[in-house]
Amino acid sequence: MKKTATLLVIIAVLALTLLPVLSACDKADVSGGGTDRLVVYNWEDYIDTDMCDDFEAYYKEVTGRSLSITYTTFDTNETMLTKVLKGDANVDLICPSEYAIEKLLRAGCILNHGDVLKDIAQQAQSLGLTFDGMSSLGNGDGNVEPAIMDVIRSMFGAGELKDDSGNVLKDASGKALDMTEYMVPYFWGTLGILYNTSVITPDELDEYGWGVLWNVQQNQKLENKILMKDSVRDSYAAAVFYMYEYGLLPEGYEDYTVQSLINCTDNAMLEAAKKVLTEQRDHISGYEVDFGKDDMINEIVYADLAWSGDAMYAIEEGGYDEENGYQLDYYVPSVASNIWYDGWVIPTTVNNKLAAMMFIDYMCDPMNGIRNSMEVGYTSAVAKDILSSDGDVCDYIVECYSYDEDGNPILFDDDGNQTDYDVNEFFGDNRRYPTINATLGVMRDFGAQNDALVQMWQQAKSGSGVPSSLWWCLLAIALAIGAAIGIYFLVQALKRRPRKTGANTSK
Amino acid sequence: MKATHVKKPFRLTKKAFGVPYMLFLLLFVIIPLVLILVNAFLDSGNNLTFDNFKAFFSSKSSLIVLANSLLVGVITTLLCLIIGYPVAYILSKMSSGKIIVLLYIIPMGVNFLIRTLATKAIFIAMGVELGMGTVIFGMVYNYLPFMIMPLHTTLSSIDKSYMEAAQDLGADKATVFVKTTLPLSVSGIISGITMVFIPTISTYAISQLLSNGKIFLFGDSIQLSFEQGMYGVGSIMSIVMLIFVLLSNFIMNKFNRQGNAARRSLW
Repeated sequence: MKKTATLLVIIAVLALTLLPVLSACDKADVSGGGTDRLVVYNWEDYIDTDMCDDFEAYYKEVTGRSLSITYTTFDTNETMLTKVLKGDANVDLICPSEYAIEKLLRAGCILNHGDVLKDIAQQAQSLGLTFDGMSSLGNGDGNVEPAIMDVIRSMFGAGELKDDSGNVLKDASGKALDMTEYMVPYFWGTLGILYNTSVITPDELDEYGWGVLWNVQQNQKLENKILMKDSVRDSYAAAVFYMYEYGLLPEGYEDYTVQSLINCTDNAMLEAAKKVLTEQRDHISGYEVDFGKDDMINEIVYADLAWSGDAMYAIEEGGYDEENGYQLDYYVPSVASNIWYDGWVIPTTVNNKLAAMMFIDYMCDPMNGIRNSMEVGYTSAVAKDILSSDGDVCDYIVECYSYDEDGNPILFDDDGNQTDYDVNEFFGDNRRYPTINATLGVMRDFGAQNDALVQMWQQAKSGSGVPSSLWWCLLAIALAIGAAIGIYFLVQALKRRPRKTGANTSK
Repeated sequence: MKATHVKKPFRLTKKAFGVPYMLFLLLFVIIPLVLILVNAFLDSGNNLTFDNFKAFFSSKSSLIVLANSLLVGVITTLLCLIIGYPVAYILSKMSSGKIIVLLYIIPMGVNFLIRTLATKAIFIAMGVELGMGTVIFGMVYNYLPFMIMPLHTTLSSIDKSYMEAAQDLGADKATVFVKTTLPLSVSGIISGITMVFIPTISTYAISQLLSNGKIFLFGDSIQLSFEQGMYGVGSIMSIVMLIFVLLSNFIMNKFNRQGNAARRSLW
């Protein structure tokens, strides 16, 4: 009787724990039947949060069907790659960086947008969808910045993607792979130095460039107040730029262009980069991926290797006073830097091709592009000319900069009168819209050499030896313990002696 | 015999209760270990290779990282013992000791990440430069309760009459401590050391947070390898770590047994 009771209890407990799991499965099935679903896999904090709701409304308006967007995020390309390459990501849209797109493309994990369009051609035609904004369908650059498309074409265009033995990679139909047919750029930007204007002067930056991150100028206030990115590729790029600027490149690499230098992972280059990164350890506060902006705003550190969008965000969040201007600023050394972009790709696991294509097209809309851009700080890939000639877009920018969320004016001129923001300032800002030239290099996937790069990074981070402070610490503890034992025996010995002498004198 | 054994009806015996545990062990202990072991011998193209071993043991930096971790572990453990033993000793003498021990244990209820982030904020507010010192502070702070708990349990369970007997026989306070209390608490010291040393050599979040990633320990190294998709090297490092954990466990057990034997014969 007792045993049956226990058995019943066990079954009840098991049932209770399993029930939520089972019901969760049921729910997923039900919602899948009633409405269309779209699973978006994007970077954290990389979209205007209202955009998903707006797209759902837009989808309903166009197709007459309701849509439920599942928005999931990743924090590094590697996390995303691991998931997608292992086939664990059941998503419709991903927004990786250029080298990750290259990797996915090489692995055959993403679809040609032209092919996707063929599959949904009938639906698209009946709904009157033309996807004009997209750059991937072979009819021009759409709404996307032509300069960025040129960068992509020169690096990853048809015939540029090769396998290890130098043969051009081809798709199933024998056509050379062209990344521009597989992705639509979303945001782009540069790599540079976010700095505190009260500690570092513009002259210092012009003179020392990337050396500022090594504190070459020996600015006392800056020593140990520099943050680097805890990311292999960005730190490697910074190290390469530094070596390029200061003539520290290994022999034979002096004549390389910026573009080929940051994509060169020869052992000699890795060794040299390891050396400068190890040297840098003595001058920096540490490595960050997410707290750099906050530490800069709170003036815990004074310089940070940063991406342009993060920098713009931090500059706006940071302090501003009329005497000194902005507390923070962003500088891209003119000698060399990295230009990067993130773009939308459709993985082979896509379930809702129509919604995926519509979403990408929706993101290319100038108004949506600027909304995302204002929200996250990065530069939208929608062409600057299209944005600046769009009245609504300009009004929106003016509104964002001149008024707060409640409509109260926040921008005043020198006399204290309310003024409107000058849109030309936005589009003329070369931190946001840098001139794209040969000093800006695109990084590609390092392929098999990536492991060597990671190993170099591990070695640079682990330093050149066990810190002497550790040995001293151990020695100090050992001495303390030794002293305690010594004192004990000394006291014991001292105690014993008077007893003996006492015995002697009493004799 | 056999026939009756087969026919035996299902009964809720101890064995039946053990099945879920065995399943759990198999799923979450044995299979992951096998996966690590298999990964250690595979390269990125899933071919059998010993290169991962070579890469790990021939690289100076990975050995430096390992040495760093072991040293940090030893220092943390020693500091915890030096700080924890007097605390546990004093508390075991006090009638309200149990409540005060609780005060030491309660912070453990707060997630260690939150505690570590708070520690970092305090250091920054005080203007202390983050580095090895802050990392060791954070480690000691996080693992001190693990030292005090077993020590307090052992010390307060020692029969007072041992000490009284020693005093009756003419031992002074220091001798009573060295010759009775300390030997009788060896088992507590051993379990305290095990509970502190083993987690400290594998820790990674504390060192990363409290040094801004400048102090790179073995746990950080493993994490970086897996994050970058280098499962082979990461697995090797995990195995090396596991060997160290088993080794220290083994040594501690040996010590404990010897201590027990010594207690009976020598003291």
